[in-house]
Amino acid sequence: MAKVQDILVFFQTAPALDVRPSAWARYEASKGSEVGDLVEEGQPPYRNAMAAMRDGWQVIQMSEFKQRTEAEGYELGAFPYQTVLSRFSEMQPE
Amino acid sequence: MEHLISSQDMARFVASGFLRYDHMVPEDLCHACREEMTSFGGYRPVGTPFEETWPKDGALGELFRLPKVAGLIHSLVGPDPLYDHHAAHLVKARTMRGPNTHQDSVIDFRKNYFDIQLSFFPVDTPDEMGGTFIVPGSHFRNVRTGEINAYQHVLGKTWATCPAGTFYVWNTRLWHGARSNHTDQDRYMFKLRLNPTQPQVGHFDMSALDDPEIPRILNTRHGWEGNEMRYELMKRVELWRYVSAQPDYDIGERFMRRREYQPQLADDQRG
Ligand SMILES: [Fe+2]
Repeated sequence: MAKVQDILVFFQTAPALDVRPSAWARYEASKGSEVGDLVEEGQPPYRNAMAAMRDGWQVIQMSEFKQRTEAEGYELGAFPYQTVLSRFSEMQPE
Repeated sequence: MEHLISSQDMARFVASGFLRYDHMVPEDLCHACREEMTSFGGYRPVGTPFEETWPKDGALGELFRLPKVAGLIHSLVGPDPLYDHHAAHLVKARTMRGPNTHQDSVIDFRKNYFDIQLSFFPVDTPDEMGGTFIVPGSHFRNVRTGEINAYQHVLGKTWATCPAGTFYVWNTRLWHGARSNHTDQDRYMFKLRLNPTQPQVGHFDMSALDDPEIPRILNTRHGWEGNEMRYELMKRVELWRYVSAQPDYDIGERFMRRREYQPQLADDQRG
């Protein structure tokens, strides 16, 4: 079977690769093209991006810093930083 | 008004964006509501006085007028709230749900203001039945409705696993979503959204504002806050100041002073 890309995203409150993610998501194309039934996970699969790298995941995006102004420096919204991890896995039937 | 929520519960609502009350509703009324829900009918006119627009007859008419429920509503939005929206949520047996974290309605920047949503669970809702999930403390984070469905998992996410008769009340801006129902039984939840008609100040039981537990409650870490905990805390302090009529309130390292202590400015320049 061909190998296809799996993506694991860590959503973070600081851009470093050794911080604990606040949220995470799996886009594992090797398993299918949608997440039909989300199985709850209480903890992220790795404690940080570096732990994932030691298990074969490649970092394909690390976040840039954000410039803060007086006007929005205290405002809150989506988590500000994210690390995108990639790995290739054997394709499975959907 | 009877059955007002405590100062500590109000602080919990400010810090976490929701409260849960078990055994609010007697079993027979739960059963009657469950029967009535499926045929309850469509929306009432948005923004009309709740007391006038909400049916007085029937189980759901009675439900939201139970003294305990009325006390809860009064504590959070004050007297004479407006009807905004309701929904009878039915997740059929064996219905699967993918990622769907969202904020209801549209992005809402109003300061010193919040709408409430009451979620009533008329039947036992075990874990595998997939009760609504929420992200505690997320109600100060403005996003556009469903764009946060990329957050499949969030540290501290929790969900309604509760006996029949349980009420959740939550700030409309709380991040939440639906979960898969893996059981052979349909899942029912009834949701009602209300707006205040006057400032949401001091409508709860204010007798315990000085309880040392309150700063600890406001400082609750839900799991996901990370480097932004201090910014979360400032938002909570701002809302607590407002609802408890304590405009100078602050806790711990008093981060609000980084904005407010400005002796270098002339009197008329200070915010
Ligand atoms: Fe919703």
